[in-house]
Amino acid sequence: MNALTRTAFRATLSRALLSSLFLSAAVPLYAAGLTIAIGSEPTTLDPQQRDDGAERAITDNIFETLLERTPDGVLIPGLAAEMPTQVDALTWEFKLKPDVSFTNGEPFNADAVVTSVLRIINPDYNSEQMAYLGTIESATKVDDLTVHITTKSPDPVLPARMYWMKMVPASYSADPEFGMKPIGTGPYEISGWERGESITLVRNDAYWGDVPEIDDVTYRFVSEPGTRLSGLMAGELDVIRNLYPEFAAAVPKAITAQGLETSTLVLSTANPVMQDPKVRKAMNLAIDRAALAEALFVGNAQPVKGQLVNPKSFGFNTSLPAYSYDPEQAKALIEEAGATGKKITLVGESGRWLKDRELIEAVGSYWSEIGLDVDIRIEEFGEYLNQLFDKNSRPDAIFVTNSDELLDADRPLTAALEFGASYASNVDEEMAAAIQAARSETDVEARAALYDEITQKAYDLDYLAPLLNQEDVYGLSERLNWTPRIDAKLLVKEMSVIE
Amino acid sequence: MTITSSSMSDRSTTPSMIQGALMSVAPLGRFLKELWRDKAGFTGFAFLVLLVLAALFAPLLAPHDPAAQSVLARLKPPIWMEGSVSGHLLGTDMLGRDILSRLLFGARSSLLVSVSVVALAGSFGVMAGLLAGYKGGLTDALIMRVVDVQVAFPGLLLTLLLVAVIGPSTATIIIVLTFSNWMIYTRVVRGIVMSLRQTPFVEAAEVVGCKSARIILKHILPNLISPLLTLAILEFTNIILAEAALSFLGLGVQPPATSWGLDVAGGKNYMMIAWWPITFPGLCIAMTVLSINLFANWLRVTTEPAEREKRYARGRAAKMRRAKKT
Amino acid sequence: MGTFILRRSLQGFLVVLGVTIVVFVATRMIGDPAQVMLPLSATDAQRAAFEQQFGLDRPLDAQFISFVGDLMRFDFGESLWQRRAALEVVLEKLPKTLELIGVGLLLATVVGIPLGALAAVRPDGLFDRVVVGLSLTGLSVPQFWLGLLLIMVFAVGLGWVPTFGSGSLAHMILPAITLAVPSMARIMMLVRSSVINELNQQYVRTAKARGMPFGRVLFQHAMRNALVPVLTLVGWEVISAWAGYTVVVETVFAWPGLGFTAMKAINHSDLFLLQAIVFVVAVGIVLVNIGLDVLFKLIDPRIKEA
Repeated sequence: MNALTRTAFRATLSRALLSSLFLSAAVPLYAAGLTIAIGSEPTTLDPQQRDDGAERAITDNIFETLLERTPDGVLIPGLAAEMPTQVDALTWEFKLKPDVSFTNGEPFNADAVVTSVLRIINPDYNSEQMAYLGTIESATKVDDLTVHITTKSPDPVLPARMYWMKMVPASYSADPEFGMKPIGTGPYEISGWERGESITLVRNDAYWGDVPEIDDVTYRFVSEPGTRLSGLMAGELDVIRNLYPEFAAAVPKAITAQGLETSTLVLSTANPVMQDPKVRKAMNLAIDRAALAEALFVGNAQPVKGQLVNPKSFGFNTSLPAYSYDPEQAKALIEEAGATGKKITLVGESGRWLKDRELIEAVGSYWSEIGLDVDIRIEEFGEYLNQLFDKNSRPDAIFVTNSDELLDADRPLTAALEFGASYASNVDEEMAAAIQAARSETDVEARAALYDEITQKAYDLDYLAPLLNQEDVYGLSERLNWTPRIDAKLLVKEMSVIE
Repeated sequence: MTITSSSMSDRSTTPSMIQGALMSVAPLGRFLKELWRDKAGFTGFAFLVLLVLAALFAPLLAPHDPAAQSVLARLKPPIWMEGSVSGHLLGTDMLGRDILSRLLFGARSSLLVSVSVVALAGSFGVMAGLLAGYKGGLTDALIMRVVDVQVAFPGLLLTLLLVAVIGPSTATIIIVLTFSNWMIYTRVVRGIVMSLRQTPFVEAAEVVGCKSARIILKHILPNLISPLLTLAILEFTNIILAEAALSFLGLGVQPPATSWGLDVAGGKNYMMIAWWPITFPGLCIAMTVLSINLFANWLRVTTEPAEREKRYARGRAAKMRRAKKT
Repeated sequence: MGTFILRRSLQGFLVVLGVTIVVFVATRMIGDPAQVMLPLSATDAQRAAFEQQFGLDRPLDAQFISFVGDLMRFDFGESLWQRRAALEVVLEKLPKTLELIGVGLLLATVVGIPLGALAAVRPDGLFDRVVVGLSLTGLSVPQFWLGLLLIMVFAVGLGWVPTFGSGSLAHMILPAITLAVPSMARIMMLVRSSVINELNQQYVRTAKARGMPFGRVLFQHAMRNALVPVLTLVGWEVISAWAGYTVVVETVFAWPGLGFTAMKAINHSDLFLLQAIVFVVAVGIVLVNIGLDVLFKLIDPRIKEA
């Protein structure tokens, strides 16, 4: 149902069932501000505690970071006055913007930065975001607008990490109320939290940067994709994320942006059938990625270029080709390996990622077509996680979708390829060593070369069967004007409405 | 109707051989004839017969494998609409699976769960009721305390909790729904047994020294059949709706098995662009439950003499009213 | 009366105890909450710290003893998912569910009773057939499906009411109707058959013969006598809605009440929140039951203690 037929549909129904009583009950939600749907209610708006996309959607507008990214993903100074410089292998120097203050009047200065860093890395604080920030050792104030941040080992990704870490006020952040009534330096500040319903932000009129156009924004918690969609179509919502691609034609306005998520199958290299590289090669050749992108995502996904690394991330190997689709050769390889009719298990889950179950089942049927006996096991999420992280017994193939928030090859490769670190299924200690080396290589060229080697080897030996780089699809109301960002942040200051 | 009744009276004049043959089908014939008088009840019964047949012969009737996906034929509308593809009478769902085939196989889940639960909960509940009503005393007090306590449990919430704990599957919902639905049979049976024990024929049987088992089997059980049948049929509708609701919430039948409730849940995210994946399974649930209700309505009236009398009286009254008007 | 209430309370206590034990055993068997609650990237150390923080690493008997102790103090622990006291979350969602049940059942009663009574005036007449047909349909349509259809037509199609959430009277309309339909159907049927029964009684015939207006006969006499079974049914409807049957409606309309929260708690393996919800609901059932028993005993002292 597109906008036009919907209007016609409404008109017809209205004529048929016209009732002045009910018409007066319709609530026009187009007021001065925007309404944005987020998947769940944040448990806290303390931006340093949880690792929660719903919380980030809101706090990205309240808090700021030392470095930001352009909509295209390039790191630029945010609250820092300029890009950081390296004092030595372990120390980075950040210069801060002057005359910035938090909305409660506290100044933004070196004390605020030092507090922010020490607060989040404090083991007692137990931040869930430490997976992004684990290399940070400490922070010291040099002068009021200069800070040194030190790392445990050489860390080339530190600037990207400071794009992640939100700056909190030096004294108010210790207040127990902070998580409920957050105070930041950003373009918006909190004005209300209706439990179970919504959170409202209003514009920070004293904002140091360009004053944004939107007066206020209400975040409503809607977990069901169908509910989000009907809310958008009924005019109750202005922005919804994770729109099903097939709805692009049905909603008032749909836009896509290259996303951070890459779906992949992690292949075992040690299990009986799987240890033969020919089998793994055949499994990659069997998958028609272009058809999956077209049929399941209506074109809103791109077949991967031979690797798990996001094309926008540091460490993307430009020399790798897209996987070719050749079921005949795949079948021949399976026969050559004597694996025809052999049983392999494919483990996955359902509902956590866009189209996960569909992808898993489609891949399963591709593998059946080349002569393997595929046992698809869609597990309940807890059980799925048990198997994903089980270091002792690896499934022949397990589905996972990797999201590369830092736009750097380190995290995805550590997770999927470093033997013994997270959910890698290979037993390649050499590769693990290479990934570790790349993690602390501060020479940019040398580091890129290391990632090229790693991704090349993973491609040659088919340690993974990456599938698609998924695009983010947003549904917008007719009046909203906005271009999505590569990092998927919903920055209200970049939005405007057409009157 | 007059034709049937005249053919009935003719039957008395037919040769005895044919009469004997007819006698063997007579109960069914009589049943259908009586049912035919209540058009709604008859329609309900006919639908249920078709449904059972459809469920039994689903593999033969279904045009497609209900789990077979086709990523290229997703969300195709029913055959009479523009954009449909041939071979999919009621269209396809979001995974390109044939909706008609899923409905046929979904009937199996509904019937499997509801028949199993009614049978299990019914047998357990009836046994507990017989025991409580017949033994009385401490046994009765104990059983009825358990019943009272369990009746006051937060039913669906606890069901959800148990399903979430054990892990959702068809077997799980059968167990859990049995666990939370046996009490009503116990209460009904105990009530009837208690009142029957006061009746002279049971007292007499006890005095004569009949064994308890014999008394229960010979004297008490036959009196239970009619109320239990009505109760079981009504419970049937409850279980079908409960199974559908649990499957809809994702805590019931799990894929790749099919269930109507599960199909509605799967289709609901797409309902704004495709009405058919949720409409047909929803209609199936509603029509099945409606059919059972219509049939149960007729059965209740037919098996209870008091109700039959009332129906007769109302019919007479209506006739008289009409007569008065003219 | 005193001993009556005492006996009822004792039975209520047994119910609450039974629920407590079932819930405790059940929730401790759900998949590892540390795995579900923490992000994929959490380390083993983080998982262990999490388990220790919430006492999940202790043996079950130790957990149970502290659990019962906490219950005495109305301390249900901290919700893993919401990171605040589970009781606080429950008390916050409770009014929403009560609101929904209140409005829904009020609707069911206000519509169901007069329709049922009017249908009884002329059994098998046209109006009666329509009412019976509507009741049977209402009993047969699954609530989740009805809710979805209502959203499609009235919220998205016509735009008359919001599609989800709560906050205004308009938000309330569709969920309340959806919740009300099966109850309304049962109430209509019961009122209808009770009134038909009463209208066949001798006193009604006498009153009619003495020339009393039919409206008075119907509403003053027949209805009054039919009141007790109808009230019993309404009470039962309240309890069964309260016992979890709002879960489906709340889920369909994203109504932020207890049922919706219970589903979220299940999805998040949030043991503490789940047991707090079930416990509060169980206590609620017990209280409503006692209240209804006392009420009926006051209305009609002949009622035997079942």
